[in-house]
Order: sequence, then C-alpha cells, then structure tokens
Amino acid sequence: MVGVSSSAARTLWLRLKAPSRLLVVRVAIMLALAALALATPSFLSAPSLTTLLTTISFVGCLAIAMTFVTIGGNVMSFALGATAAVSAMVFVVVLNTAGYASGVAAALVAGAVITGLQGCLIGFLRANPIIVSIAASVLIYGVAQRVTSNETVHVSETLIQSLLKGKLFGAPIEFIVFLGLTAFGQAVLSFTTFGRNLFYIGSGFRAAEAVGLPTVRTTILAYVWAGLFAGVTGVLLASRYNQANMEFALRYDYDAIAAVLVGGIAIQGGSGSMLRTFAGVAAVSTIQIVLLLHGFREEWRLFITGLIVLAVVVLYSKRQRQ
Amino acid sequence: MLEVEHLAKSFGPIKALRDVSLSLAAGHVRAVCGENGAGKSTLMRLLMGVSRPDAGSIKLDGKSVSIGNPQEAQRLGIALVAQELSLAPDLSILDNIWLGNRTVPLFHRRKEFRRRAAAALALLGVDFGLDTRVSRLTMGQRQIVEIARLLVREARVLILDEPTATLSDVEIERMMAVLRTLRAQGKGILYVTHRLSEVFKICDSVTVLRNGADVGSATIDQIDRERLIALMLGRSFSDMYPAVVATGTADQGLEITDLEVSGHVQAFSLFAPRGRITCIAGQVGAGASAVTRAIAGLVPGATGTVVLDGRPLPLGSLGQRVRRNVTFISEDRATEGIFDRNVLENLVASRVQDHARCGLISWLSLRRFANRLCGEVAIDAQRLGAQAFDLSGGNQQKLLFARALGGQTPGVILINEPTRGVDVGARAEIYRLLREFCERGYVLLMTSSDLEEVVGISDVVVTLYRGKIVSTYQHSRIDMAHILADITHPIGAKAA
Repeated sequence: MVGVSSSAARTLWLRLKAPSRLLVVRVAIMLALAALALATPSFLSAPSLTTLLTTISFVGCLAIAMTFVTIGGNVMSFALGATAAVSAMVFVVVLNTAGYASGVAAALVAGAVITGLQGCLIGFLRANPIIVSIAASVLIYGVAQRVTSNETVHVSETLIQSLLKGKLFGAPIEFIVFLGLTAFGQAVLSFTTFGRNLFYIGSGFRAAEAVGLPTVRTTILAYVWAGLFAGVTGVLLASRYNQANMEFALRYDYDAIAAVLVGGIAIQGGSGSMLRTFAGVAAVSTIQIVLLLHGFREEWRLFITGLIVLAVVVLYSKRQRQ
Repeated sequence: MLEVEHLAKSFGPIKALRDVSLSLAAGHVRAVCGENGAGKSTLMRLLMGVSRPDAGSIKLDGKSVSIGNPQEAQRLGIALVAQELSLAPDLSILDNIWLGNRTVPLFHRRKEFRRRAAAALALLGVDFGLDTRVSRLTMGQRQIVEIARLLVREARVLILDEPTATLSDVEIERMMAVLRTLRAQGKGILYVTHRLSEVFKICDSVTVLRNGADVGSATIDQIDRERLIALMLGRSFSDMYPAVVATGTADQGLEITDLEVSGHVQAFSLFAPRGRITCIAGQVGAGASAVTRAIAGLVPGATGTVVLDGRPLPLGSLGQRVRRNVTFISEDRATEGIFDRNVLENLVASRVQDHARCGLISWLSLRRFANRLCGEVAIDAQRLGAQAFDLSGGNQQKLLFARALGGQTPGVILINEPTRGVDVGARAEIYRLLREFCERGYVLLMTSSDLEEVVGISDVVVTLYRGKIVSTYQHSRIDMAHILADITHPIGAKAA
C-alpha cells in the first residue's frame, strides 16, 4: 500500500510542481473574481453577502442535480428548474395539510418521479436526453398551468414559523444545506458503485455495455438523484419565499447549466466532480452579484451569463480538437 | 520520379518514422510492407502533406518539394486511395469523379467533363454508367471510381492503402488488372499492404518498415516469402507463438447450439473446451465477430442456446455474464474497450461491486486489487494513475485482458482480433497471455481475419464463410491453405 499512496502523492506533487496551463488559468480566474468582488464596495456588507449565499444555494442545489446528468453522458437537463418549481408547489400544498415532514417527503418524491420517468425513456430507449428534457419541461409547464390555473400557492400563516429559515453559524440555512448536499453528492459519486458506474457510462457508453455494467439502471438512477436534488431546491425556494409558483424555475435552470459548464464538467460526460460544480456556482454567482452591485440591470446579467456560457463552450470545443 | 530521402517524424516521444528513404520510378509499383504501427501511415501522411516531416526531403523529378497540405499534394500529382473511401454515396459517379476538383469552373461545360470522366473509367477497363449512384456500387467498384477521380486530376504518383482489404476475390483480380494498366500508363504506385501474395503478384520492388525504420528494400526477384516475413516481424515466424502445453482432456467448456444472428450468422454450433484456444476464422464481414458479440449479450435479436459447464448462459443476461466471469474484448478498443479514465479505474471496471458493501466501495481494496492485476499482466503499477488512452495499443490490450482475471473462477474470454493495432513486440506478449489464460483453465474463443495468427495460435479452428461454418480443424490438422480456401471460396458452400 505504501507504493500506491506514494505514487498518488507523487502525482499530486507533479501537478503542483508543473501545473497544467488549465489549472493556472482556473486559479487565475478564481483569484481575479475574488479581487473583483473584494474591490466592489458593499460586497462584503452583511446584506449582500447573505443575498449572494442564498442565490448561490438555489442555483447550487440545482447544479448538483445537473452534474449527475452531465457526468452520466446525458449532457444537460432543461427540465430541472420546472421540476424544482413543481416540487416547491407540492411541498407547500402537502405542508398546509399534512405537516412539515410529509411536505418534504412529497416534494422529494415528486422530483424523483418526474425526472425518473425521463430517465426511463433515456435509459431504456436511448432517447436523446436533451430533447426528452425539453419536452418534459414543456409538459410540466402545461400540466402545472392546468392544475394550478397559474396561481401561486401560499404557506398558511400558522405554519410559516415552522419553515427552515434564518442563519446557522452566520450563514443562511440554505447555504448550509447546499454545502451539505455538495459533500453528499460528492460522496455518492466517489464511494458508491452507482457513482463509479456513472463515470464509466459517461466516459464510454459502449465500453460499459461491453463490460456488462448496468447501463439502464445507472442512467435511471442518475435521473432519480437529479430529481431528489431538484426536490430539495424546491423545498428551499418555498421555505424562503413562503409560497411557490411555476415562475420559480425560470432563471435557476439556466444558471445551473452555466455553473456546471464554468466548473469544467466535461460536456460529453465521464468526468467532473461536485467540488468543481461548487466552484462553478461560486464563480457564476459572484459575477452576477458584482454586476448587480455595480448597478447593472437584469438584462446585463442575462447578457453576461450567456456570453460566459458561449465562451466556455468555445474554449472547450477548441481543447477537444487538439 | 519520386524520391524520398532520410525522412523522419516523431509524435511526442514516439519515433513514428526514422531515416526512411525510397525511390519510385514511373511505371513502377513499389510495395510498402510492415505490421501495424510500423510507420506506413505516417509515411503516407507525410507524402500527402497531412503532417510535416521533422527531417529529410521529398523530391519530385529531382526537385525538392515541400508538401504543406493535401491540396498541394494534389497540385504536385500525388494522390492517395485511402482505406476509407472519400466518395459521396448519394451522388452519381460523374459528380464524384469531379467532386472537389480545383479545375472545375462553377459553370462548367458538362459534355467535356463527361467525356474526360468516361475516358478515365475506360482507361481502367470498366464500363459503369456515369449517372449511376455510387451507393449502388460494390466496394471494389467504388475503389475504381476513386482511382478514376485521381486520374482526372492527373495524378502521377498513386498511393494505395491496402486497397484489397475489403474486396472479394473477383474484385481483387480486377484491382490487379487496373494496377497493371496504371503501371503501363507510366504512373508510379506505392502499394501499401500486408498481403504478401499480392506483393509477389503485382509489385516490382518492396520496402519493409518496422518500428518506423526501413529494415530492408529489395527488388521482387531478390526476395522470397520467408525472408519478407522475417523482415516484417523482426524474427522468424516460429518465435512468435508460444509452445502449446498439453492441458489434458477438456470436457467442460462453452457449448453453443444453433446461434442465429439475423443477417450475420446462421445455425452456428460449436463446442469451445476449457484450456484451449478456439478460433473462428473468417474474412471481414463473414460474421465471426457477430458470434462473440451475441454470446456477450451485445446483439439484441440473437437467438440460440449457450451452455457453460453444463449450466445455461442466457444470451443477454449481463448479471450472469459478470458472475460467471465471461469477458468480451472488442476489436474496437477505443469505443468498446477503454474508458476515458485512468488505468486503475479501467482495470476494475467490471468488478467495482465486488469491493463494495451495501453499495459503498472501498478504494483501498480496489487499489490492492488493481495492483495485483497489473502484476499479473505485466503493466507497470506506477502507471495506475495515468490516462488509459495514453498507453500503447499493446498495453491497452493487456489492460483489457486483466479485466478477465477479476472473477472468482476461470471464465470465458471472447476476443475479436486480439492483435489489431498492436505492435510486433507486444504481439508476442499477447499470444503468451492467451496461452496463460488457457493454462488457468479459461475458455478462449477468438475471432481473427489474420491467417498467420489463426494458424500460429489456435488449437481448434472453425472456418466461417458468409455466416455459415465451413469446417472444423483440430490442432494437428490446421493448415493455412485449407483455411484460406474455406474462408475465401469454400467448395460446396452456397452464397447466402
């Protein structure tokens, strides 16, 4: 065992001694962002930090969900935001009638079922995952509109104090949850057979079939995990705003995709980690908050986020070609 | 006409070509022989301007030329018929012949171009309708269209990269006739092949490459078959294959009955005993690989019964396959073998769940396991952290073999073309590994289209022609002439 750990240590040392250009670029970008943030007046003030951390958390939980899809070789899902919104509404409705624990459970089940069904289509039939997710998203909006008549559901007054809010160790509770989910997601990837199989399938689907790995089951499970994390996002959103509606989903979806890309999760699947996604979420959110603090308006936020995603994709394809 | 002097090219640390010189006169056919990885493709790439040489020069008619890109090669009259043809199947022959030609004006005079295309085809002794769609032609006919396309571009040096690899015998004969015509027309031809009989049939001289170096050039009357093989392999034929160790009678093994794969294999029955190498020999497309794929459960519509040691092995049951240690090693390592992960993860891919409790894996146990596998197939354990795709073809193949060692009991190895893309040195090592697995009591069922390999390594050979078994040869009765006859035009076999 000494041999193995020393070789692992040697690899790490080599990486630090002669860092790849990519690593240098990444660290440089992170430092630049940190400097930019610190140079922004009022960034370090308590209210804006709290806003930053809360936003990070919503986007972050969704990005963690997205990472399961991406690593498994299914690119991205465009339905996770809508799933989170549905989960939020399910949570509020069940909470009002059956209490907090049932509400959370129902939200998680709703998320897992919605994405799990998509996972079945993709796993059993090898349906194109992007198209499936777009179709699912439209379906979800359609059904939700029919059921809720476009209305917002509110948490009843008597139950509001039961919601998870406020701060723990000075950070908003959402952020603590996000940190926990990142660690949990990473553990699932690193230490479960499902997690390892997900990497195999993402990095070589046909090789995985040839080896005899359970490709269908793993793909479906990846979507179920994504749905569970989307469900958590829904619970957090509803808890923060004491209400839920389909509008919730609109921006987090895209921001989560941006975060996964910026974090450097390989688009074709098979590599990445929750820690990288975390870094991506931090980077994207910091840029957005700094823009807001400098007085840029919403359209600028969208514009810049779009540009970032394009830039990452272009850089990525360039590297792939080499 | 063409002179290549002291050409060298490296890719990273690998010297793909070192100090290779050759000359080609007009009306001359020179064979370029060598195993996979010998440097043949690199030489072609340099001549076509796809890569630039690190050293050395290319001269055309005594003038030194620098070929920067394929367009320049076209301008100089150097043309390549690649293994993968570059024809557009949905266009007509005429359109294909002129496609991408730099001299065709936007509003061209159709008549003139028709005439010249027809002339090129006539020169090659064929009579295809110019308006026929290329998708309706056979592979051999397509190759001739490709050559016609090069002729209208006034190519003087033609490089043919294994043109007969996918052709039937009749088509091979026609290709030979075309080559003779081209030679009579004063074209210079570089004929890349490892089919030795063609070298002696059509070529005037031969250059043998091995590990990137020119190990011998000769005119064809100065060399014989044995000498040519020895040059290519770098050793005599008999050193390549390990001696067979008698492993007793084997009544246990893999029994296949009435395997059917629609469009590929019909009524295939075979018993592959433990401790033996059973080889299904056939040409590319004869259906041999469909047999192993079907047993591995990778062909959805396959039917038939497979029994291992008296217990059924249902086709397509992945769980059974992994539990009973049935390993499939594809000929296409890049997409069906190696994961784009590191060596360690690649080694343990099929056995992660054996090192997990309640779904939670132990990396310590996995590492120990991977270390053991490395030792058994002679992969340097220092490379466990390296990306698997950075390994050489031979090491990648050893890695895939190592996966078969993970099970509790000796199992089955289904392997297609075991030495494709593996260099000569590693080849002998792969053969040694195959024997070792035999001695451990594995069933080895391999497919191969490389006849020397079939004869050299197999204990039992089953010949396959268009999806049907022609005959079976036991160890002492395996001989190349019979097998060759079986897989090319078996007597009494009906064309399916």
